Amino acid sequence: MASTVIGAGITIEGEITSDEDVVVQGTFRGKLVAKDAVTIEQGAMVEADIASGPVAISGGVTGNILSTDRVDLQTGARVIGNVKATRITIADGAQFKGNVDMDV
Amino acid sequence: MAETTATTVIGRATLVRGRVTGMGDLEIAGHVEGEIACSGEALVDTSGLVAANINARRIVVRGAVKGDLIADEFVHIEAGAKVVGNLRAARIAIALGGLVRGQVQTTAPAVARPAARTATASAPLRAPNTLIAATAAPAAAREARAAAAAPAPAKAAPAPHIPSAAPVVAPRLVSAPVVAARQVVGQATQGAQATQGAQDAKTGRDSMPFGALQGSRRVPPPPVVPVLKKGTKAVQKKR
Repeated sequence: MASTVIGAGITIEGEITSDEDVVVQGTFRGKLVAKDAVTIEQGAMVEADIASGPVAISGGVTGNILSTDRVDLQTGARVIGNVKATRITIADGAQFKGNVDMDV
Repeated sequence: MAETTATTVIGRATLVRGRVTGMGDLEIAGHVEGEIACSGEALVDTSGLVAANINARRIVVRGAVKGDLIADEFVHIEAGAKVVGNLRAARIAIALGGLVRGQVQTTAPAVARPAARTATASAPLRAPNTLIAATAAPAAAREARAAAAAPAPAKAAPAPHIPSAAPVVAPRLVSAPVVAARQVVGQATQGAQATQGAQDAKTGRDSMPFGALQGSRRVPPPPVVPVLKKGTKAVQKKR
C-alpha cells in the first residue's frame, strides 16, 4: 500500500490531486483533492482546503474540509475551518473552530 | 512506520503541482510539476513523471524527468529512465538504456564555477595575440608598399599574390633600386606565366583567361558555374 506520504520536514506548496490515500506528516499549503482517505498526522501543518474521502486529523489544519465520507478530529487535532461531511467525530482534546455541516 | 516518517512518497496515482521542498528523502512514483528541492535522496521511480527542476543531495532516476537535475553527491540515470534537462553533480552515472538529452557536467558546482571563469578568461587573452600576429604581417607589407609606392604606379602587383613572400621582398626593395626589383619580380611572374602557358599549350588548354587574371588579381575569380537564370538550364536540356 504505497500511498502518498508527505514526510516530516518536507514542505509542499501547491496542489495535490490523488486517487489514493494521502498521509501528511509535514507541511502542506494549497489545495488537496483525494478520492481516498486523507490522514493528517500529529506534527503536521496543513493550510489547505481538503476535498476527499474519509479524513482523520490529529495535526493542525487551517482550511475547509469537504468529505464524502467521514471526518475524525482526533486527540491533539487543531482545526480552524468549516467541516462538511455526512459523519463527524470530535474526540476529547481536539481543538476545533468553525462550522459543521452534516447536511450532505 | 519509521521508514514512512523518513521518506516522502508521491504515489503513482497522485499529481502534485507546486513546490516540494524540505529535508528528508523523496520518492516519486506519480506526477510532479513545479520544483523539487530536498536535502536527502530524490528517487523518481519507473512510474514517476516529473516536470520540474530537481535539487537534492542524491538523485536517482528510473522514470521520466523534464527539468534540470542538480545534486551534491550524484545523479544516477538508470535503465529505462528518460531525462530531458541538464545534469550537474559531482558524480553522474547514466546506465545502459537510460536516455538523456541535455548538458552533463560532472563537477561540484563550487569547483565548476572558477574553472569556467578561467576558461573564459584565457580565451579573450588568446584572441588579441592572434589579432596582433595577423595585423603584424599586413603592417610589414604596408611598409614595403609605402617604400615602393613613390616612384612606381600604384600597382603593387605581387605582394597581395603571395602574402608570405611580402616580407622577403621588402628588404630587397629597400636595398636595391626599387624599379629594378619590381622588374625582376615582374619578370619572374611573367616567366611563370610563360611556362604555364607553354604547359597549357602542351596539354591543349587555352591559358589566356588565367594569365590575364594573374596579371590583375584585384578582380575576383570567375564563377565556376556559368551564371544562368533559374530554369534556363532545364530549358537547354530539353532542347
